[in-house]
Amino acid sequence: MTFQIELDQINKYYGAYHALRDVSLQIPQGQFVALVGPSGCGKSTLLRTIAGLEGISDGRIEIAGRDVSTLAPRERDLAMVFQSYALYPHMTVRKNLTYSLRLKRRKAGEIDTAVEEIARITGLDGLLDRYPRELSGGQRQRVAMGRAIIRDPKAFLFDEPLSNLDAALRVHMRAEIRKLHNRLGATSVYVTHDQIEAMTMADHVVVLRAGRIEQQGAPLDLYDRPANRFVAGFIGSPAMNFVDGVVAGDGRSVQLDLAGAPVLRFAGQRPAGEPVCVGLRPEHLEVGAGRDINRLDLPVGMVERTGAASYVVSDTTPELMIAAPVRVADGARIAVSIAPENLHLFARAGEGLRLNT
Amino acid sequence: MLKFTNTFRDGVGFDTLLVGIALGYLVVFSAFPLAYNLLMSFQDVDLFSLTSFDRPFVGWDNYREILSRPELLPILWNTVKFVGISVIAQLSLGFAIAMFFQLDFPFNTWLRGLFLAGWIMPALVVGAVWSWVLAGDFGVLNHVLSELGLIRANIFWLSDPDVALYSIIFANIWLGVPFNMILLSVGLAGIPEDVYEAAEMDGATRIQRFFTITLPMMRAQLGAVISLGVIFTLQQFDLFAALTQGGPANSSNVFQYWSWQLAFQNYEIGLGSVISVLMIGFVIAVAFVYVRSTRYEQES
Ligand SMILES: Nc1ncnc2c1ncn2[C@@H]1O[C@H](COP(=O)(O)OP(=O)(O)OP(=O)(O)O)[C@@H](O)[C@H]1O
Ligand SMILES: [Mg+2]
Repeated sequence: MTFQIELDQINKYYGAYHALRDVSLQIPQGQFVALVGPSGCGKSTLLRTIAGLEGISDGRIEIAGRDVSTLAPRERDLAMVFQSYALYPHMTVRKNLTYSLRLKRRKAGEIDTAVEEIARITGLDGLLDRYPRELSGGQRQRVAMGRAIIRDPKAFLFDEPLSNLDAALRVHMRAEIRKLHNRLGATSVYVTHDQIEAMTMADHVVVLRAGRIEQQGAPLDLYDRPANRFVAGFIGSPAMNFVDGVVAGDGRSVQLDLAGAPVLRFAGQRPAGEPVCVGLRPEHLEVGAGRDINRLDLPVGMVERTGAASYVVSDTTPELMIAAPVRVADGARIAVSIAPENLHLFARAGEGLRLNT
Repeated sequence: MLKFTNTFRDGVGFDTLLVGIALGYLVVFSAFPLAYNLLMSFQDVDLFSLTSFDRPFVGWDNYREILSRPELLPILWNTVKFVGISVIAQLSLGFAIAMFFQLDFPFNTWLRGLFLAGWIMPALVVGAVWSWVLAGDFGVLNHVLSELGLIRANIFWLSDPDVALYSIIFANIWLGVPFNMILLSVGLAGIPEDVYEAAEMDGATRIQRFFTITLPMMRAQLGAVISLGVIFTLQQFDLFAALTQGGPANSSNVFQYWSWQLAFQNYEIGLGSVISVLMIGFVIAVAFVYVRSTRYEQES
């Protein structure tokens, strides 16, 4: 099978700084891939190396089966949407949209039909004769999208395209970009530091840290089975709780380093006495669930109420966050329980690799 | 007293004072000389009547006199060449160097600073230096050229009528390039890098990026640099004074120097004024173009 975009052992240095480390990635035609990771992890760098705006120090990039590792951006036939939009300030929306077609010396009639079509898709009709500075942020965003779509490129590259929009518009555009993707069936690589954006939009999520791919897979796979502590803490909101513990004598439960040394069952088996780090998602700590085992009785510290849910922070060391659907009073104690299959065990040493199967 | 200072500072008093100072300055140092110059161009002025307003009006006589001078056309042509060649060369060299300094290389800013050296030097010093460089007998340029075997006999850069004007143009270009370079550098630095990257993704070659992104986005700066270049070049006096005094036989004379010669060497002050008035008219037209080019910088 040939992939639309294939990265093979990409390495990238900025001087002595090793920005990308052995990055390999295969993106089938039509897939929507999100690159996530904390700030400075190399997401933009990776995207820009695919685009050809940055050279690579080592490795191989193929687009639609063709080796483009050393080709200039314009020979790769990819379209990019920049975080800053990077519209041409001295051109009207129409000129912005048609720039690539005019460079290719397409016929005027052909260009006009293309513009009409794109304006309709992106909701820009009526704005075609405005200059970028006369547009709102959301409208500029659409122009940037339209400019990419009109070219019918081999793939779309997005670098945090929504980060300059307000929260409501961001949610709206998120859905729109995904709809557009479904409709065009084009391959997309989407950089974001917002894991919710990645989880909701992408077919395939790639988690980067310090220039290295930590894990990649379908969004729910990453959520259900994070490969290490880093991914576990990064994917999911609010973030997973971590408590140190030791595997008990039966090899099927773990004793937590909390007051009262509670013991929780987990799925699978580990050697007795193994030091582990236990991950508990806030939404898996069920308040007052009628479960006989895996109960925790915790003193309530702070409570944040959003209306729909209350976030309870326990008064323990370390603190545990509980996403409770009910209203909880301050100062009281709270009884929660967790299903054994929702306990994540990670090694305490090294990278914190996942231990349970 | 406190009340007075307060109303003075917060009320209209202070604003009026500030406007008054600016206006006063303009009237005394700009408007009055301009008007006085215009007035003199219609009068018969000599050394003795210079300080009195009570001078015989001669109508358009001074203008007629200037237009009938045989040297008018050659000097006009010289002025056109001087301004045209200087501005075009300053602009293209300045633009090229500004683009060069956009590249990232060691000592970039340091070198760019050096370029301003010619600009910091007093005009008289610049004139003196160029007169050494261009001197016919012992000049540096002739020495270098003959050492390189490029010329056999000395070229009389400043006293050969066919060459003198171009020597001054050359010196003037050197003088104007840093200004052009700095102004255009500022403009170039104002074009965001990602706009170029977007164009690159859209398939533009380097040359296409220059013509479709750089040039149009530099419109305002180019307009400013061209208009200011024309004005500064029309003001260029020191080089003529230091190098050729307009000679030989007016072969390197231009309006601004001729005007000075008429007024302060021949004491035909009315005639000198006529030329100033004509030049002011031209400069106003250029300034108008300049103001338009900056005001409508985003349009079209
Ligand atoms: N031109 C450069 N020269 C040197 N180092 C660079 C350069 N560009 C990026 N870096 C470094 O490479 C690393 C990755 O940068 P990159 O811009 O890819 O991060 P990112 O994941 O996109 O972060 P963010 O979410 O903040 O945009 C950073 O540590 C950055 O300092
Ligand atoms: Mg980035």
